[in-house]
Amino acid sequence: MSFNDFRLLYALSCFGLGLIILSPTLAVVIRLPAGERFSELWILGPDGMAEDYPFDVVEGVGYNVTLGIGNHMGCLEYYMVYVKIRNQTEPLPDTVNGTPSVLEPIFEYRAFLKDNAMWEREVSFSLKSVSFEGNFCKVSNFVIDGHVFDVDKLAMWSEENRGFYLQLFFELWIYNGTVSDFQYYNRCVWFWLNMTVPI
Amino acid sequence: MGEHTVNRKILTYYVTFTLALALFTHTCLAVDKRSAEEALVNAESDLASAYGAVAEAERVGANMSELSDKLRLAGDLLAEANNTCRLGDYDGAYSYATNCSDTVEGIASQALDMKLEAEKTCSERLLFTATSSSIGLSALFVVSLFSWRALKKKYVKRVLEMKPEVRES
Repeated sequence: MSFNDFRLLYALSCFGLGLIILSPTLAVVIRLPAGERFSELWILGPDGMAEDYPFDVVEGVGYNVTLGIGNHMGCLEYYMVYVKIRNQTEPLPDTVNGTPSVLEPIFEYRAFLKDNAMWEREVSFSLKSVSFEGNFCKVSNFVIDGHVFDVDKLAMWSEENRGFYLQLFFELWIYNGTVSDFQYYNRCVWFWLNMTVPI
Repeated sequence: MGEHTVNRKILTYYVTFTLALALFTHTCLAVDKRSAEEALVNAESDLASAYGAVAEAERVGANMSELSDKLRLAGDLLAEANNTCRLGDYDGAYSYATNCSDTVEGIASQALDMKLEAEKTCSERLLFTATSSSIGLSALFVVSLFSWRALKKKYVKRVLEMKPEVRES
């Protein structure tokens, strides 16, 4: 080994040792870039699986689904989920523009979640006062978690799908401290309810 | 006979008074829509302030488990208050909303104290690690200088002790 090589090896060893000594301070000072920040919203069937969602529904019978939120935003977040119900003609949220549905919520949930935490809640619902008249099916009351709400939803007969359908959907909203208000997070989950009485 | 009639009258007055009192108390204490909505707005604002303070404290590394649990409870109460208000039960909505405000009372100041404490701990830790690193680097510098001298000496000595080889051409 030449003298220059020896000197270089020695300098590199000293530099390496210096980095090891500095590493605790560097770990405190340097913040590595975080991964992708996002929030999740999901809905599961009665068995906690992504299957067997309530579809053919009958007046007065209770149904269960599981609603869940996951936080991967890197800090404590404040969420709100609006529960809304619509017929075929009423609007869903606009996923392209990220705007919520203009329909009034019938119910809401709120959750505070730490980073990488999740929240799950069983949602029980049933339909009350369902009447059929010609090409229309009217649902007067919607019962969710024991609260009876007047919804007065009219579902038209769908020639395409041969039935009367309503859609139950859940919108995720997140609290924005900068504007001191909730903002729609452009996450929405839903399932259809078929109220057609089997003949 | 007369005494009996008086007793009946007293009893009738007593029952009427009690019923009237219950009715008026309920009417006087019943919450109207405006009061319920005001309570909801206040609860919303209280909860948002508490959340802001807790989130800020958590960002600097404070342990917010206990306060987060309170926030969760308050969030459930506020959701229930809004749902009850949608049903037109303003008494219930008012009650849930005030309960929510009571639950978050003091959270913001507690969170601020915990944030200051966490910041202090953080700066102390930073100071300690920075000082340790500085001492370590200084020691490394001094040791490396002396050891370089020694190694260099050893290297030169070893080179000088080498015997030159003569090759026949």
